[in-house]
Amino acid sequence: MDFKFLVDTFFVALSGVPTALIITIISLLIALPLGFLLALTRINQIPVLQRFAQVYVSFIRGTPVIVQIFIVYSSVPLFLTSIFEKYHIDKNVYDINPIWYAFIVFSINTTAIMIEIFRSAISTVSKGQLEAAYSVGLTNVQALRRIIIPQVLVTALPNICTATVNLIKATSLGYAMSLQEITLRAKVAANVGYNYVEAYIDIFLVYLILCSLVEYLFKRYEKRLSKYKIAHA
Amino acid sequence: MLEIKNIHKSFGQNEILKGVDLQIDKGDVVVILGPSGSGKTTLLRCINFLEKADEGYANFGDINVHLKTASKKQIHVIRQKTAFVFQNYNLFNNKTALENVTEGLIIGRKVPKAEAAEIGKKALDKVGLSEKYDAYPSQLSGGQQQRVGIARAVALNPDIILFDEPTSALDPELVGEVLTVMKNIAKEGTTMLVVTHEISFARDVANRVVFMDGGMIVEEGPPNEIFSNPKEERTKQFLKRVLPEDYIYYI
Repeated sequence: MDFKFLVDTFFVALSGVPTALIITIISLLIALPLGFLLALTRINQIPVLQRFAQVYVSFIRGTPVIVQIFIVYSSVPLFLTSIFEKYHIDKNVYDINPIWYAFIVFSINTTAIMIEIFRSAISTVSKGQLEAAYSVGLTNVQALRRIIIPQVLVTALPNICTATVNLIKATSLGYAMSLQEITLRAKVAANVGYNYVEAYIDIFLVYLILCSLVEYLFKRYEKRLSKYKIAHA
Repeated sequence: MLEIKNIHKSFGQNEILKGVDLQIDKGDVVVILGPSGSGKTTLLRCINFLEKADEGYANFGDINVHLKTASKKQIHVIRQKTAFVFQNYNLFNNKTALENVTEGLIIGRKVPKAEAAEIGKKALDKVGLSEKYDAYPSQLSGGQQQRVGIARAVALNPDIILFDEPTSALDPELVGEVLTVMKNIAKEGTTMLVVTHEISFARDVANRVVFMDGGMIVEEGPPNEIFSNPKEERTKQFLKRVLPEDYIYYI
């Protein structure tokens, strides 16, 4: 065991954290509102959209993330090339930073998960509260924003936390499209002297620390949001 | 003040309301009685647009609304004039008792916050919850929750309050406190339309009792007339089942 390498590579792996976090944050920013809206279409049985959401969820949940990465990473450049040629844009698709593909794959993926999380969370808030909101003169949007969403969020938060941690871990698959994230950086460092065991331990530790931190933050946020549930505690 | 004409409502093949007419004057306390499934609750919900009626008109003093084709604006106006007390309270669980009462004032009616808080506190005092302004619904008993529900309706100062079986979900020993609150606000001259199974409330507080069955109004009149001298056979059968045995003699 090469301890110096172990320590050095730990920091190499650590330098991939911003990449993993940016992908996680962008994906969540897209998936949370989109997932919520699509969950609403399912609950309110809006004709075409609810069917779309249903098929979408089945497709994404029924296929491995790595395959989704391969599909996006190989098909989007082809699509872009034809567009660039058509409109005479002088740009090489292979210069595009793979992080953009990661945004696409992980947003698509996380949205599907959020639809299911919100669908179950929304159904825990009684329809009666929505009716009460209408009866005191709130509009649809006001009722959602002030009454329904704050409660849905509390119920959904543990599941959103799990999804976020899974998402952070899934960004390690980004190495398949040579994304400069935690796993790839440590692996590349290990290639030189074949110190794979040390590198894997480092990767392991970095994800563990990162995910524990995220879990801790979610727990604190959940506590703050659920202050109205005091009596049940 | 409120006139309802020819309300029809079906759920799929099931016709719940088959042409109901009802007139309510200012200060009236009207109690609707009837077996379950007779359309009492649906009637109330149609008036507040929680269900969309298939046919019928509501005439609120100066405005006349076709219930089926009412615009969003008309619905908003009618909801401003009415308030609803629900069977399952339907309090906003993420809001304190006071916030539950002021939510409609501040957001729905654009009353300034300080003024709304004052109105809200007064309404909660009226239902005997001066100690519970900052309590969340999860910290209140069923009876207390329903009293917040009533305060929420009273605070809006509506032309009429619609009560949908306000005591049906309560433990028997909590029914009394809610009925007392309802009696008090009735005494103040609040116009009320109440669906309930509490015969004593109908007898003591109502000035008109409406008996519904099968989606139609079978009989209506002052309580002592309906209870001691019902004309329709269907009303007699129903009262025989819900009234205490010796009630007729007791009158």
